[in-house]
Amino acid sequence: MPSRLLPLLLVTFAIPSLGFCAHGTELPSPSSVWFEARFFQHILRWTAITNQSEDTYYEVALKKYGTTVWKDIHSCREARGLSCDVTEFTLDLYRYRYGYRARVRAVENSLYSNWTITETRFTMDEVILTVDAVTLEVTNGCIFGTIHPPRPPITPAGDEYEQIFSNHRIYILSIRKVSEQKNTTELVTQENFTLQVPRGMREFCVKVKPHVESRANKAEWSEEQCLRLTEQYFTATNLSIFFTFVLLLCGALVFLALLCYIRRPGKLPAVLVFEEPHNFFLADPLFPETLDAIHILDLEAFPKVSLELKDSELHGSTDSGFGSGKPSLQTEDSQFFLPGSHPQVQGTLGKEEPPELQNTCGDNTDSGICLQEPSLHSSMGPTWKQQFGYTHQGQDDSDINLVQNSPGQPTYAQDGSALDHVCLPEPRVLEEKDQVLVTFQGYQKQTRWMEETANPEEHLNKESPLTDAFDPKLAVCLQDDLALVKGYVKQESQGMTAAPSVTTSRQWNQLAEEWSLLDTVSCEDLSIESWSFGHKLASLDCGAATGGLLGSLDPTLATLPLISSLQVEE
Amino acid sequence: MKTQCASHWLLGVMFILCLVHTHSLRRCLISVDMSLIGKSFQEIKRALQTKDTFQNVTILSTLENLKSIKPVDVCCVTNNLLTFYRDRVFKDHQETSPKALRRISSIANSFLHMQKTLEQCQRHRQCHCSQEATNATRIIHDNYNQLEVSSAAIKSLGELDIFLAWIDTNHWERSAA
Repeated sequence: MPSRLLPLLLVTFAIPSLGFCAHGTELPSPSSVWFEARFFQHILRWTAITNQSEDTYYEVALKKYGTTVWKDIHSCREARGLSCDVTEFTLDLYRYRYGYRARVRAVENSLYSNWTITETRFTMDEVILTVDAVTLEVTNGCIFGTIHPPRPPITPAGDEYEQIFSNHRIYILSIRKVSEQKNTTELVTQENFTLQVPRGMREFCVKVKPHVESRANKAEWSEEQCLRLTEQYFTATNLSIFFTFVLLLCGALVFLALLCYIRRPGKLPAVLVFEEPHNFFLADPLFPETLDAIHILDLEAFPKVSLELKDSELHGSTDSGFGSGKPSLQTEDSQFFLPGSHPQVQGTLGKEEPPELQNTCGDNTDSGICLQEPSLHSSMGPTWKQQFGYTHQGQDDSDINLVQNSPGQPTYAQDGSALDHVCLPEPRVLEEKDQVLVTFQGYQKQTRWMEETANPEEHLNKESPLTDAFDPKLAVCLQDDLALVKGYVKQESQGMTAAPSVTTSRQWNQLAEEWSLLDTVSCEDLSIESWSFGHKLASLDCGAATGGLLGSLDPTLATLPLISSLQVEE
Repeated sequence: MKTQCASHWLLGVMFILCLVHTHSLRRCLISVDMSLIGKSFQEIKRALQTKDTFQNVTILSTLENLKSIKPVDVCCVTNNLLTFYRDRVFKDHQETSPKALRRISSIANSFLHMQKTLEQCQRHRQCHCSQEATNATRIIHDNYNQLEVSSAAIKSLGELDIFLAWIDTNHWERSAA
């Protein structure tokens, strides 16, 4: 009996083993099966079996936790790979809290391996949180970031990332400078954020990792998004400030221009424009004949000028004539000597110093020419002598008065009123010295000689002819080395000429030469006021034989320059 | 007039108390940081669930049926489950791994803290258990009893993620509402 049961038992046990062998017990099963899932991207992975061939494929099955039915995933069989996307079979993963179990087995030529089941239940806790991308945008100097949660196409409606993880969503930002590895992290609670880049970062990269505070899901960093910051110079604010500054600058410039225009120096009228003093040594090439040459006078050639003459004409003027404070000029030694002076003249004139002239210079407040250098006049000839008692105190004219008593010449007013008339000496006195030119430049303002007469009006009406008084003997003003007289000699016109008292043309010519000699006297700012020679010639009363000075006046003499510079060195 | 005023006054007070009661119920669970418990479970989840050989059976299956539980039952159900894990699961499980043991202890302590908070609500009669809540708790105990104690315990520990997810869902959704 036991012998009959033994074959039956053997067959009974052999059939299952045969069936087991038919199901690929020879094939090893995958050693491990696991889920690698991201948001609605559920991938089941397994390891390959050993000695895998080209005919080997794998079967996949899924089961919800707490149920008994496994669901085969045929699409995974066709993949012939070591992974399978089972998302579409696990769409309720985020709503079904129990999760899924999966198993895999190898199949080769009707051989099946054992199933390998996932060790853990596949739930949403195993989903790795990610983000699709992060974008950065620079707007008005601020960096705005936007995090894009995952949006798989297979996601069912209502199961978006924000709905599944509705609470406690945070994102970790990692900011890294391009040239460095060190990074800084920030936490943001929303998908839209404003990034505060640390100073000094011109180019940086940002990556984001999501996190849910109430869950322990793993997360992955997103791809880095780099951004380069450039200096925004042309921003609206900068441009507005620039244009405002430009407008203010233009306004200030216009204002300054207006001020300058308003305050510009006015142009003086022509009559008030004073010409610059001519250089005595400069010659006008166009009019060389007008050049005033300065010559050093030979004092010995000139007779000594009388004190009266000195005092009357160039000295002791209360006007603004030259005035020298040195009394030595009033001494006999300081007198100029006219060359070849007439003995009568000499005798008449004498050499004594008129007492009236001693201090006339010092009393003068005008700019009368007053030379007081005694050495300069030491070699002078006969001097002019003030014959008549007249003083020039209080005189305010600039007439040059010469007084000479010569037998050959008519005597002018023997009284004091005639002293203002001057008679020119014989021209032959200056024959030897006719080559000496005296140039006067400027104007000579001389005092008006006040007569000690009872008829001061006559004196006032009678203009002393400076021309006729302006005998070459006035060269007494000149010295050898041209004493500098400080004052001014005002000339009225150049057309005025001296009014010689000579009757002959020859004498007149000589007088002209003498006059030109005087013209060469250089006196700074020497001005002879009222050198209205022509007019004075009319009033001249030096002898009727002359037939009137005006009548014998050579018109050419009217062109003699009256402007002369008297330069007398003290 | 005075009676009507008094009645209106009483209704208003009751309405306010109901709001406070509901609000206080939510406050019983807010103070617990569920993320720490979940993190501790994730560290031992593989070890626990790997040992679960009975994949066709679940202990906490009734929770799936309690998705639409009333706000007033959340406190009762939560308290019952916390008691279940404290009195049966943690006591029946024999853990040999020190790492797993520390994590399980941490979870147990957190459950105790949560249970103390809920007991205060029960003293103030703010954690009333309805019949539905009581039935759900009984099913869980029955499922636990069908398995071997060690297997049941290991399976119950393996299903902690379900329990934690349920608490998180019912707590935040209702508080947000």
